Amino acid sequence: MGAGGREEVAAGIGNGHPTALRRPRRVSLKTRRAFVAYLLLSPAIVYFIVFFFYPIGLEFWASLYSGQPLIGESQFAGFDNYMTALQDARVRQSVFVTLAFAIGVTVASIVIGLGLAVLLNRPIPGRAAIRAIIFFPYIISFVIVALMWQAILDPYTGILNSILAELGLPTQSWLSETSTALPTLIAITVWKDVGYAMLIYLAALQSIPGDFYDAASIDGASPAQQFRYVTWPLLTPTTLFIAVVSTISQLQELAPAYLITKGGPADATRLFSLHVFEAAFFELNIGYASALAFLMFLLILAITFVQFRLLNREVSY
Amino acid sequence: MSWWKTTRLFIGTGLGALLATAAGAETLTVYWNAGHAYQAYSDVIKKFEADHPGWSVRWEKFQWPDMRTKLVVDFAAKNPPDLVAEPGGWVQEFGQKDLLRPLNDLIAKDGKAIGFPGDWQAYAVERNKLGDQYYGVQIHLTCATLVYNVDMLKEAGFDAPPATWEEFLKVAKATTTGGRFGFAPNPSIGYYWSWFLQNGVSYYDPKTNKVNLDSPEAIEAIQFLSDLIHKEKAATRPVTGADYEGPQKLFTANRVAMIITGPWDVKPIRSGNPKLNWAVAPSLKHKEQATFAGGVSLMIPKDSKHPAEAWDLLKRLVALDTELAATKEAGMTMPRKSWAENPEIQADPVIGNFGACLPYAQDTPAALRLTGKHARIDKLLQSALEQIVFNQAPAAEVMPKFAAEANAILASN
Repeated sequence: MGAGGREEVAAGIGNGHPTALRRPRRVSLKTRRAFVAYLLLSPAIVYFIVFFFYPIGLEFWASLYSGQPLIGESQFAGFDNYMTALQDARVRQSVFVTLAFAIGVTVASIVIGLGLAVLLNRPIPGRAAIRAIIFFPYIISFVIVALMWQAILDPYTGILNSILAELGLPTQSWLSETSTALPTLIAITVWKDVGYAMLIYLAALQSIPGDFYDAASIDGASPAQQFRYVTWPLLTPTTLFIAVVSTISQLQELAPAYLITKGGPADATRLFSLHVFEAAFFELNIGYASALAFLMFLLILAITFVQFRLLNREVSY
Repeated sequence: MSWWKTTRLFIGTGLGALLATAAGAETLTVYWNAGHAYQAYSDVIKKFEADHPGWSVRWEKFQWPDMRTKLVVDFAAKNPPDLVAEPGGWVQEFGQKDLLRPLNDLIAKDGKAIGFPGDWQAYAVERNKLGDQYYGVQIHLTCATLVYNVDMLKEAGFDAPPATWEEFLKVAKATTTGGRFGFAPNPSIGYYWSWFLQNGVSYYDPKTNKVNLDSPEAIEAIQFLSDLIHKEKAATRPVTGADYEGPQKLFTANRVAMIITGPWDVKPIRSGNPKLNWAVAPSLKHKEQATFAGGVSLMIPKDSKHPAEAWDLLKRLVALDTELAATKEAGMTMPRKSWAENPEIQADPVIGNFGACLPYAQDTPAALRLTGKHARIDKLLQSALEQIVFNQAPAAEVMPKFAAEANAILASN
């Protein structure tokens, strides 16, 4: 079309057909906005496709094969890997351990985190420093945390048993006994993560309008009643958030078991992720490990759904 | 450093890398164990780079489990390193999965010049083969034996180390006083094999396709260790998840009279406590004198981009001079027969005594490895042994259960 083409078309001349006024097809505003939105979102979409959805798809594909899908020869096995996983006693054991670990860490983080937040929400001297000290372990790598706690808990050279011995108390093999290994692992993880829960609760506490407490005081509510009938209900969304995020995170946790106990003693701390990791990288049973990972995905989805149903109450200020 | 200097440094480095690539510079990637990065090997790598202008060696060091994770991912991405040091067992495992380059053609070309396989201990060659095909070359050959604190034994009235289980028990009990213990067992699964092997137990019988660890001898062996810890209170309780260095650290700190370890702990003990009066004893004997063999082999992945150069570096790393230099530096024992015959090696009381165990050391999972189910069964065994040693469960109950589970895995497809 020449320079004057637009005008020619508009005038209905130049093509041998007079009459019809043909306007260029215009893209609607809605479409143009959608196009711009997708254009701006495209880096994120590409990122998620390449680094999340494609690997997830590949993982699901691998879960349908026996042998060594991804690295070597494999044979299509349908859902055999899933059936094997559901019948495997070690899988059931590791699911049980993982649920106990996730519930233990989540409940303890919520209770202790909330307690600390309530305490540190008051005008006490040095509270900023105390908050920073409590939050600090959250930003440390678990490798460092593991090394530190292994040194502290060593039954023969560790400082904890030395202190207990000095006080005339019985010493413990914290990580070497089935009865204490998992609670110890939970305690270490709570120590590391509680600062995060505290921080979120602090933000939530500071967003509750002071008028509510004033009104409750005028009505004669004690501090305990104020907490029970004002603070706690208004913190429900925060508690839901922490519960969901912490549960999902702890169900996927690998580091404490891998770095501190290697799943022992006698599988007492064998978290599900460690079981999957070892099936994939040590046994080279990659199809089976992929099926296990998908089963965990479904379990996390189900638990999250239940948490939302139980805790998602509408709160209005 | 100012931002401009930092920026220039980055730009300079980037340009340098770009120019090097344009000039045809090549990189040979080598995976190595962090604990074995001896100066002797560093010198070999420097010489390799000097002899191959334009080549550089990227010498990446890992702990074994981390290396395995990375290697499996590399295999999946078809981007493996050129040369890998492995801790024993991986050569056959990855060879079976067609992930390694067979070395027969290279050995046919250079084997005579480097003395391979004739100058290597026979089982160090066999553990790196599948049928007639070579997939790896042993670089360290080790075994574990009894290491003892001479002064602690003397204080307890013993002038010589124990030679049998009965003597060992007597010494362990006598040297356990106050905060010191007679023995510190290692929680890593390989170390339990000293006891099994000394009681005449093998891991697996290829004829029946079953494990042998539910035998009365196997039960007796592991129960002996458990009783030493819990009943006799003459040994430390192993710490779950701890690395293999725990007993060595207690020994170096003069808190334990005896440990079972190999030449890999010579350097840490010597550097950790130079004044410690310690010695290496022959392995204990119950039904027979035995111990487990270990060691490191070198392998070239099938998808290595530079197999010829990797083989050249491999030859240099396993040369006798390099072996002797690594022994002198770190006390490591080696697979060459000519190394064992070296007068300096034979004269060294520590290295010589470790070397003396090599002829009766056994590669315990050799037969089981060929089934391709070794890793899975080893995990079950670790759990079973921990039930006995950590939880004090009776070996007579745990070992038959383990054997039944392991045999079911072996019988499955």
